[in-house]
Formats: sequence, structure tokens, C-alpha cells
Amino acid sequence: MKRTIFNNQLLPWLLLAPQLAITFIFFIWPAGQAIRQSFLREDAFGINTSFAGLNNFQGLLGNAQYLNSMKVTVIFAVSVTVLSMGVALLLAVAVDRMLRSSRVYTTLLVWPYAVAPAVAGILWWFIFNPTVGIMPYILDVIGYDWNHNRSKTDAMILVVIASAWKQISYNFLFFVAGLQAIPASLREAAAIDGAGPVRRFFDITFPLLSPTTFFLLVVNIVYAMFETFAVIDSTTAGGPAQATNIMVYKVYFDGFIGQNLGSSAAQSVILMLIVIALTVIQFRWVEKKVEY
Amino acid sequence: MASITLDNLGKVYPGGTRAVGDVNIDIADGEFIVLVGPSGCGKSTLLRMVAGLESISEGEVRIGDRVVNDVEPADRDIAMVFQNYALYPHMSVRQNLAYGLKNRGTPKAEIERRVKEAAEILQIGPFLDRKPRALSGGQRQRVAMGRAITREPAVFLFDEPLSNLDAKLRVAMRLEIKELQKRLRTTSIYVTHDQLEAMTLADRLVVLNGGRIEQIGTPLDVYRRPASTFVASFIGSPAMNLLDAKAVPHLPGTAHAGTIGIRPEDLSLAEDGLIEMNVMAVEELGAQRLVHGRTSGEAITIALPSDAPLGDTLKLGFDRKNLHLFSRDSGARID
Ligand SMILES: Nc1ncnc2c1ncn2[C@@H]1O[C@H](COP(=O)(O)OP(=O)(O)O)[C@@H](O)[C@H]1O
Ligand SMILES: [Mg+2]
Repeated sequence: MKRTIFNNQLLPWLLLAPQLAITFIFFIWPAGQAIRQSFLREDAFGINTSFAGLNNFQGLLGNAQYLNSMKVTVIFAVSVTVLSMGVALLLAVAVDRMLRSSRVYTTLLVWPYAVAPAVAGILWWFIFNPTVGIMPYILDVIGYDWNHNRSKTDAMILVVIASAWKQISYNFLFFVAGLQAIPASLREAAAIDGAGPVRRFFDITFPLLSPTTFFLLVVNIVYAMFETFAVIDSTTAGGPAQATNIMVYKVYFDGFIGQNLGSSAAQSVILMLIVIALTVIQFRWVEKKVEY
Repeated sequence: MASITLDNLGKVYPGGTRAVGDVNIDIADGEFIVLVGPSGCGKSTLLRMVAGLESISEGEVRIGDRVVNDVEPADRDIAMVFQNYALYPHMSVRQNLAYGLKNRGTPKAEIERRVKEAAEILQIGPFLDRKPRALSGGQRQRVAMGRAITREPAVFLFDEPLSNLDAKLRVAMRLEIKELQKRLRTTSIYVTHDQLEAMTLADRLVVLNGGRIEQIGTPLDVYRRPASTFVASFIGSPAMNLLDAKAVPHLPGTAHAGTIGIRPEDLSLAEDGLIEMNVMAVEELGAQRLVHGRTSGEAITIALPSDAPLGDTLKLGFDRKNLHLFSRDSGARID
């Protein structure tokens, strides 16, 4: 390979500058600001600022609303992950069996991924809208009174479906690729070895798919926790009664609507720590532990 | 223990490819049958139809007295060794061997006994707790065999099980498979494209070409009396010389034949030889030398002792009884 030597010491930095600037402006600087503010107390008008130590964090951990938000986040993230991965896996297994004739099917399933989260949110908000939506109408026929503006459960179901929907296509692609990488002869050998289709799936296919599954698990949890802001904002806005106020939405709500910047910053820092933890798990585990 | 009957068996893949047609074979209990033919001739398809991994388009497969066309692979009492071994990569060797028995609800003690026995026969005892990826190609091959024998099935099916091994190991494993089959006396169907492997292993050979049977017979029968020009050129190494009868007009008693065949080892140097050969290349194999050349424009090869004299032209003689005559139209043997 030809190697380019830069005589000018400045040029490499100039070439890197746009990327570095973006990283700095949109990531490092805000992160630094968040960490700084999480240790400060600021009044609502932004006039007086004082050092608050760990008060912001202590306040959060003693705050029932924040603890509720943590609980909601866990329920939400687990539900979105299980739903989107479960449905994707079912579809992928079905497609894997007849892959040659399924080009159309595959393309259709990938469409949702091209839809922006906010649009997806509004789409589902319409479908489930208590007055004009189609789903409440159908549910009414079977005797269920759907109203996500009043019912906490309905609201949670709505945001879970709206968030999982988009992720299904992404998971599906990875699962199909993972399934295709398993040699057909393994399943055939298992069939001869007396394992029926279900047994074959759990004894052979699923274990061999575990690297894909684990990768997707982390990706989906990260997605549910941090990238569903727009879905929540356009469907339930965290309500009713905090039922869908996941942590990342609460950061926004407390900071921009509630103007409690210290607490909001502390929440951001906690989220940052969770991202770092997930990333570490991702690297450590996906690369080393999940293999066969 | 079981006999196998393939009755007018045929396979047309969805999309219309005919892979196999008009296959009739009666396989005796305990017999070692080898399906041999060039790549793409339908060997695997045929074997997989017997295994139940491929649906049967025409005809019948019987194992014992039972028609198994619609029987699941698991219930056909067969075991199969795959070309890529198909070992379960996430299970230890022991679990690989035991999996088929476990699925059938075999008692633990019995499983243990059979795994131990198979491990002893195949000398894989030391690797029982390893994963397949920690084994060499030859060891994996043994585990694949072990998985087949622990089940104690009525039929073994092999799909090119040695083709991923290096040449030396292949020869050694070939012998082992033969001995194992002799000992267990399990009816076996073995697929290979390697005619030497086929010759050494088979009780009877089935030579396939384009999805159809060209010839069935013992290796020596097929070698001595190939039923067609295809078989003649496929079985035996170096391949039989096939000469256009018109190109060599002087051979007595061959007027009605289209093609005349003679094996390189059945030709000899002779002062008054009827065939005159222009030498073009010589291959030294140690024990013998192969001389390639032309006679009346046709390619011809002769196998000579390594000390035989060479020249630019050789006169070749042969014994009339070693000539093979084939029809001009069909390529079928005529005598
Ligand atoms: N799943 C399939 N679908 C369509 N055609 C196939 C399929 N499998 C094999 N074939 C075709 O059937 C013929 C025989 O294939 P195969 O039995 O694998 O041959 P061999 O094992 O002798 O090399 C080939 O022409 C091959 O292309
Ligand atoms: Mg094959």
C-alpha cells in the first residue's frame, strides 16, 4: 500500500478538524457541561449559582418520581427489547425457511426502519387514538375500553408497541443473517438425531444464534433507553401520571419544562454512566464470552 | 440391520431441475454400496432421499419391508455422516455423541455405555470433553463417525465424508471405515466422486451419470467390463484409452464397434504391434511410467514398467480379450 507522508504538520489536523469539532460540540462539551452542572445548584432565573456537592444526586435517589421513572424505564426497556426481538426472531425463522422466494417479504419488513421515530410515534398515536383511531374501535368490539390518556397500562403498551415496531426490522435483518450463517447440515443432523422442529430450535439454532442475540440485546436496551425520546414525546409525553416518563424523557422534562437544571444534569450523568456500563458489557461480553 | 430397496426413484427439484431418474437398486442387508460419479450427477440428492432430508418426487424407498417415503428422518433408523461433519459446535464431543440417544429417551447408563464403546472403537476417548473446534480434521471426522455408530442404526449413510481430509489421512480413514463396516455389518450407502475410494470401499459400485445409473456391480466387474464409455473413462486410473474405431482401422474383429477401449496397463511394447504411437509426454510415477501420445490423431496412454525403453515412436501390442467395444450411438458396451 502506498503511504502518504504529510510534510505539513498542520494538514492532518485540518483534515481531522471537522470530525473533532463535531465530537467536541455535540458530545464532549455538553457532557462536560452536564457533569459540571450536576454539582451546582442554580435558581430558576439562572442568576445565583452555588456549589451543591452530591446534593443533586442525593435528591434524585430520595425522589419518588425519579425512582418511579427508573422503574418505568426498566419495564419499558425490557418490554421493548423482548417484544421487538421476539417478533423479529419469529419472522426471521419463518423467512429463513423459504429465503429464496422471500425477497419482497424482506423488503417490506425493512421499511419501518426508514421511518423517523417521531413519525412512527405519531403514526401509532393515530392508530391508537381513543377518538379517531382504528385500534380502540377494534378493541371496543371485543369489549376493551382503550384509552392511553387515562390508563397507565394502555399508555405503556402504546409506547412499547410504537418503540418496538421500528426496531423489529433492524433486529430481523440481524437474525436472518445469523440464521443464514448456521449450516443447514447442523439442523439436518439434529433432525436425524431425533429432534423435532421445536427441539431443534432450542438445542441447535438458538444457542448458535447467541452472539447475534446478545449483540441485539444490548443494542435494543440502548435504543429503548436513549433513542425513544421522540416516540414518547409524540405519543404520551410521559403521562398519564408519570406512567411513561422514562429517564431520558425526564431529563428533558425536568430541565427544559421544569427548569431544574441541576437535577436534570445529574440525571444526564446517571444516564451517561449507564451508557458507559452497557458499552463495556458489549465489548467485554460480545467479543469474549458469547462464543461456542 | 436392514435391506434397502430403491424402486424407480426420481427427483425433480422445484424449478424443474431433474437431479435423479429411474433409479433401481436392491441393497442386501449388511452390504456396502458406493454411489460414485462426477460432481453434480445426483449422488447427494439420492442419498438425501434415502435419509429423508429431500422429498421423493417419483418411486419408492424401502428400508427393510417398510416404505419410508413419508417417514421422518428420525424414524427411518438411519445415521448420516456429512461432508462438513455437521458436529454441533456448542456441544462437547460427549454431548455430540449422546444427542441422538438422549432425544430418543435412552436411559443414562445405556447412553454412557454406548458413548464409551464408540469412543474406544474410534480412539476419541481423550477428546470426549472437548468442543469440536478444538479438534483436528481427522478427529472431527472420527467424532462424526462416532455419532453415527452410538445410535446403532440399521443403515449408515455417508456423503463424501473424507473429502475434507488431506490425502494421507483420507487413505487411512478409508481403511478404517471399511474395517468398521465389516465389523458392525451395518448396511451402508457411501457417496463419493473419487473412483479410487469407491473401488476400495465398495461391495458393489453404483456408477451414476446425469442422475441415472450407468452400471451396478462389484468393483472388479465394473473395472473389467465397464457397461459404457462413461464408466470406462470414469473407473480406473489412468483412464482407459477410448479410440474411435475409424481412426484405428487395423484391429481385427472390431468392425461393428464405434469406440474401442483398452486400458493403459493392457498395452505393451511389441515389435509387430498394430498400434503406432507418437510419444508426446512421459510421467514418471516411480513404480511405472505413463507415456502419453497420439495414434492416428487419437490421444492414447500406456503404462510401462519404469525401466522400459522409450523412443519417439512406439509400437504397441495388446491381447484381443482385453479390448472393450462400445456402440457408436449410445456408448453402451457391445459384446
Ligand atoms: N436444492 C436444490 N434445488 C435445485 N437444484 C438442486 C438442489 N440441490 C441440488 N440440485 C441440482 O441437482 C443436481 C444434483 O446435485 P447433487 O445431488 O448435489 O449432486 P452431487 O452430490 O452428485 O454432486 C445438480 O444439478 C444440482 O445443481
Ligand atoms: Mg454431493
